Amino acid sequence: MSNLQEVKAMVEQGKTKLIAGKVQEALDEGNTAEDILQSMIDAMGVIGDRFSAGEIFVPEMLIAAKAMSLGVDVLKPHLAGESTSSLGTCVIGTVEGDLHDIGKNLVAMMLEGNGFEIIDMGVDVSPEKFLNAAKENNNVKLVALSGLLTTTMPKMEETVKLIKDSGLPVKVIVGGAPVTEEYAAEIGADGFAPDAGSATVKAKELVNG
Amino acid sequence: MLTKRQNLMEVIKGGNPDRFVKQYEFLEIIMEMPLLKGVFLEPGTEGKNAWGVYYKWPEGHIGQMPVHGEHTVIKDITEWKKYVKAPSVEFSDEEWAAAVEHANSVDRNEQFVTAPYFGGIFEMCHNLMSMENALIAFYEEPEHMHELIEYITEYELAYAKEVIDHIHPDALFHHDDWGTQRNSFLSPEMFKEFFLEPYKKVYGFYKDNGVELVVHHCDSYAANLVPFMIEMGIDIWQGCMTTNNIPELIKKYGGQISFMGGIDSGVVDFPGWNQEIVEKEVEKACNNGKLYFIPCLTQGLNISSFPGVYEAVNEAIDKMSKKMF
Repeated sequence: MSNLQEVKAMVEQGKTKLIAGKVQEALDEGNTAEDILQSMIDAMGVIGDRFSAGEIFVPEMLIAAKAMSLGVDVLKPHLAGESTSSLGTCVIGTVEGDLHDIGKNLVAMMLEGNGFEIIDMGVDVSPEKFLNAAKENNNVKLVALSGLLTTTMPKMEETVKLIKDSGLPVKVIVGGAPVTEEYAAEIGADGFAPDAGSATVKAKELVNG
Repeated sequence: MLTKRQNLMEVIKGGNPDRFVKQYEFLEIIMEMPLLKGVFLEPGTEGKNAWGVYYKWPEGHIGQMPVHGEHTVIKDITEWKKYVKAPSVEFSDEEWAAAVEHANSVDRNEQFVTAPYFGGIFEMCHNLMSMENALIAFYEEPEHMHELIEYITEYELAYAKEVIDHIHPDALFHHDDWGTQRNSFLSPEMFKEFFLEPYKKVYGFYKDNGVELVVHHCDSYAANLVPFMIEMGIDIWQGCMTTNNIPELIKKYGGQISFMGGIDSGVVDFPGWNQEIVEKEVEKACNNGKLYFIPCLTQGLNISSFPGVYEAVNEAIDKMSKKMF
């Protein structure tokens, strides 16, 4: 197995204690940092698909994301430019009135693992804060809204409306336990995903137009 | 007419109930237990509970949530002993008086005197260290997680002893959420490795000491964990969401465990609720069957977040009882 394949396998298996050494080996072998990064992004794609299919669970996804993050740390000095992101920036947060963060954190990790730069706004984020973050940060392509409570769905709608009315060239993706594809369409969101794995697929689709 | 307790037993034993069990009616929950001090905040406040976990309940929100970051209790799982100190379970007779009085006032032929426990072993792990850190630690530091779980289990056993000594409960109502609406947090293999034996100990202790009924609250998907629920001694899984395919669970496991839920709180308990929505959802739930099933909001107490919903569900269940029995 080549070092690139081994890097991919180690991310998929969440080998957090071994990944840094393996990435270094791959670099020493003459692989480019971009190729190594791509092998890790591919691994996270596999992880996302397996999570969506119910074959793996949250810990397996988290440990893979952590392995990727540790691998990226080794690559950073070798990557062109300051950012490792090729897909643009995503502003993500849980909507106002809702303190749940697990789903939002998982989506953030998966998006980061797939090449987005993440601006995590945390929980209980007002529509205005989302809009300001989308305006003030560089290269924002996507705003991701999470909500677990039925009671905070109106805030999700308000946030989508505010961003859309601002005319910013960003896509908005929504998700969370009570959110459905129909609801997402009804409130004017560009996309919906039922879990962190499919959120990645949808997010890439949205920003790649 | 059967008493609430007798009717419940007919439902879970596969006998002849004379009506649907109406949500939590068979449980008289003793919320005055001094062991629960500090578990719940007042709306609009924030602060630490007895374990040092920091909670916030912002004004206008429907519940409290643990807050981590700078407030995280376990900053490094390999040094958990440095950070975690279980609260005392010892309280004076005076502090127990209200709970004892409540328990003594219950007609045990009509209802089960019920001891509540909030924040079970899994929840305690992630409340102490944040969900992400806990879930990663199951992989990276399994031995320390086993130790932490053993410590929490010992606390639960000490709590159980005090409860049994003071109120002699007939039932336990124990909270521990194990999943999201789509799946369990842990794979069944990992769940078994970390949580089956500790829960067998805790639930076994209650049953060895006069508790007839173990009701476990978990308002999520957890159909893949039902074999473990049965093995650990759960009689009723409360909070069973519709995503679990309840008819299939009843067919597969009815007689070994019963399912309480089928009315997803998120669908009926919201500011714009109305009787029509409630009746539609209750009818769907009651069609799950008369045995091994208790129609109930998935909410983890005999209340609703919005005034009137809990009572409206009761009324709708009464209607279905008249129609189906």
